Amino acid sequence: MASVSFRKLGKSYGALQIVKNIDLQIADKEFVVLVGPSGCGKSTTLRMLAGLEPISSGEVVIGDRVVNDLAPRERDIAMVFQDYALYPHKTVYENMAFSLKVRGVSVEETRSRIAEAAQMLGITQLLDRRPSQLSGGQRQRVAMGRAIVRRPKVFLFDEPLSNLDAKLRGEVRTEIKKLHQQIGTTIIYVTHDQVEAMTLADRIVILRGGDIEQVGTPDEVYNQPASVFVGGFVGSPAMNFTKGRVEGQRVVLTPTDSLPLEGARHSGALADGRELVVGIRPEHFVPAVADVPRLDGQVLVVEPLGSDTLVHFRLGDATLTARMPPDVRPTPGQQMSFGVDPSKIHLFDAATERAIV
Amino acid sequence: MTMTGSTKSSRTIDGNVTPWWVRYFDPSDRALAVLLLAPAAVLLAMIIVYPVCRLIYTSFFNLSLTSGLPAEFVGFENFQFMLEDPVFWQTTGNTVLITFVTVPGALVVGLALALMANLPFRRQWPVRLSLLIPWALPLSFAGLIFAWFFHSEYGVVNDVLGRFGVEPIIWFNSPQWAMAAICLTIIWKTSSFMALIILAGLQTIPRSLYEAADVDGAGRIRQFFEITLPLLKPSIVVALIFRTITALQTFDIPYMMTNGGPGTSTATLAMYIHQNTVSFLDLGYGSALAVVMFALSMCVTAVYLRMIRTKG
Ligand SMILES: Nc1ncnc2c1ncn2[C@@H]1O[C@H](COP(=O)(O)OP(=O)(O)OP(=O)(O)O)[C@@H](O)[C@H]1O
Ligand SMILES: [Mg+2]
Repeated sequence: MASVSFRKLGKSYGALQIVKNIDLQIADKEFVVLVGPSGCGKSTTLRMLAGLEPISSGEVVIGDRVVNDLAPRERDIAMVFQDYALYPHKTVYENMAFSLKVRGVSVEETRSRIAEAAQMLGITQLLDRRPSQLSGGQRQRVAMGRAIVRRPKVFLFDEPLSNLDAKLRGEVRTEIKKLHQQIGTTIIYVTHDQVEAMTLADRIVILRGGDIEQVGTPDEVYNQPASVFVGGFVGSPAMNFTKGRVEGQRVVLTPTDSLPLEGARHSGALADGRELVVGIRPEHFVPAVADVPRLDGQVLVVEPLGSDTLVHFRLGDATLTARMPPDVRPTPGQQMSFGVDPSKIHLFDAATERAIV
Repeated sequence: MTMTGSTKSSRTIDGNVTPWWVRYFDPSDRALAVLLLAPAAVLLAMIIVYPVCRLIYTSFFNLSLTSGLPAEFVGFENFQFMLEDPVFWQTTGNTVLITFVTVPGALVVGLALALMANLPFRRQWPVRLSLLIPWALPLSFAGLIFAWFFHSEYGVVNDVLGRFGVEPIIWFNSPQWAMAAICLTIIWKTSSFMALIILAGLQTIPRSLYEAADVDGAGRIRQFFEITLPLLKPSIVVALIFRTITALQTFDIPYMMTNGGPGTSTATLAMYIHQNTVSFLDLGYGSALAVVMFALSMCVTAVYLRMIRTKG
C-alpha cells in the first residue's frame, strides 16, 4: 500500500499539451476518482501513472519512489481496463494466475489467493471458463479479480463500468466500494460519470482540458463548486446558471427578478454593477412561501418523475429547471413563482467563471 | 401438419390458400436463400466439381493422344503402373521433401517478417510494400531471377560466398545443392505471403492485452509465447493450409531453375504430371498422377481443419 503523488505532471504530443502540470497528493488507502468530460486527459494521466504512457514532464511518485523510469511491472500497480483486456485464450483461473506465475509465486499460494479473490467476487464457479463464455458483468469481476490477486500497492481503474448496462453498473459500483472497504488499497479510478465519482470517491479530482479544475470530497465539490464548470458538471439535473448584476445588496437577474446577496456564500463586499453568473441547483428551489426570495417564470415543460417533478421555466433569456415536490403539476405556459433558498445560491465571476469566495 | 402437406400450399392467417409459386418466390422463404446461392453453386460445380470428376474418370482410361487409339477403360492399371514407376516415387519424394523444408521455413521467416512489419514504424507503407513485392512477383520470374543468383560463375550467391573464402559451388550440378537452391528460393518467394496473413492476424490482437501483460509483469519474450503465439494460431493454420497445398503443387520455380535436373533429381510431382500430359500427351497416366496429388492435398487440408476444430 502506498501514497501516490503527481508533481507538475505533464503530457504533450508535439506542441499539443493534453495534461498540464498536474499537482496532486493521494494518501495511502484513499479512493480518488478522476472525473471530467471526454478528452480531458483522464486516461492519459492514469496511463502515465501505470507506466503505459511516457511522461513528458514532471514526476510520478508511488510510495516514496519516483517511478518515471520504471516499467509498468516494476511499479507494483494493478489496472482494470475499460475493455477488461482479459486473455481470451486463458481460462478465468489462468487469467488470474498469470501475474503470479510471472512473479514466481508458488502454486499453492496462487491457488489460495485466487480462491480468496474468487470468493470475494462471487466468481468461484466460473474459474474454468474462458472470457468468451462470460457475461459483461462477470468479465468485469474477473478483471477485478486479476488485479486483486496481485496485492499491488495501488489499483487503477479506467472507466471499468462503461461497458455495462445501467442496472449492472449500479451493482458493480457498490461492489467496488465494498472491495475498497475490505482490502483498503489505494484506488485511483477514472470515469466521466459524475454519479460514479460522487458515490465512490473519498476525493474527487475534476479535470478539464488537462488541468485540475477542483479537488475535494464529494460534499465539497457539490456544495462549494470552484467554478461554473464544476457546478455544471457535478449534480443531476445540472445546476442552473443565469447572468446577474450586483445592485446594492441584491443581484438583479431580470428587470423584475432579483435575489438577496446576504445569504450567498461569499466574503467581502461586491462592487455595484459587478457582472456575475448565478448558479442555483434544481433541488434548491423551494415552494414560494412568504419571506422566501422568489423568481417568477413561465413554465415551459413539466416532467413528472414519480418521486418529484421537474419544472423547466423561462426566466429572462435563461431556461431554468426546478425540482419540485411530486404533487406540483403546473400547466405549461402558466406563470409560476419559485422560492429560492438564499444560502444555496452560488456566485461566480462572469469573466473568469470562478466562484466568488 | 406433415412436411408433404406443407409443401403444396399453406393457409395465411385470414384463411386464404397461398399458391405454391407465391410461397416459392416469397422473399421470407428459404427458397430465396437457395435461389441466391444457386448461381455460386452452379459456378462452383462447373469450375471445380466437374473438372475433378472428369479427372478421376480419365484416370481409369488408357488415353494417349500420340497412340491414335481411342480411349480404353483399364481400371486401376494406371495406378498399378505408378507403384512400379521409379520417377513417380522420385518426384513424389522431392515434392514431400520440398513441402517439409519450405513450409516450416516460410512459416519461421514469415513470422519474423510479420513481427518486424508490425513494429511501430513511422511510415508503414514502405514496410508493407517490401513485404508485398516477393508475393506479387510471378513464380516463374522468381525462378529465373534466382537461377541467375545461384549461377556458378556470375551468380551473386557464389560471389558473396567467395568473399568469405568459400569455394564456388556449382549449384545445379549436384542434386543436393540444386535442391537447396530451390528450397531457398521457394522460402524467399512464399514467406511474404505467410507474413501478410500473420500480419493481419497480429493486427487483430488488441493492444490492451499487451498492456495488461506489461502490468502483470510479463516481459517481451513471455508476451510472445503467452499472448501473441496462441492468438495467432488460427492465422498460422490458415497460412499453413495455403502454403502446404501450394508446396505440394510446386512447379514453376524448379521448372525455371533446374527443369528437374540433374536427371530427375529435383523434379516434382507437378512437373511429372506436366511432362506426361503436355509433353507425352499421355492423358490417362497424367490424370492418375493428378488424382494422387489431389488426394494428398485433401488429406493435408483435412488434418489442418481438424487442428482448427480442436483448437476452437
Ligand atoms: N497519440 C495521440 N496524439 C495526439 N493526441 C492524443 C493522442 N492520444 C490522445 N490524444 C488526445 O489527448 C486527449 C486526452 O485523451 P484521453 O484519452 O486521456 O482522454 P480521456 O479524458 O480519457 O477521455 P475519455 O473519457 O473519452 O476516455 C484527447 O483530446 C486526445 O485526443
Ligand atoms: Mg479515457
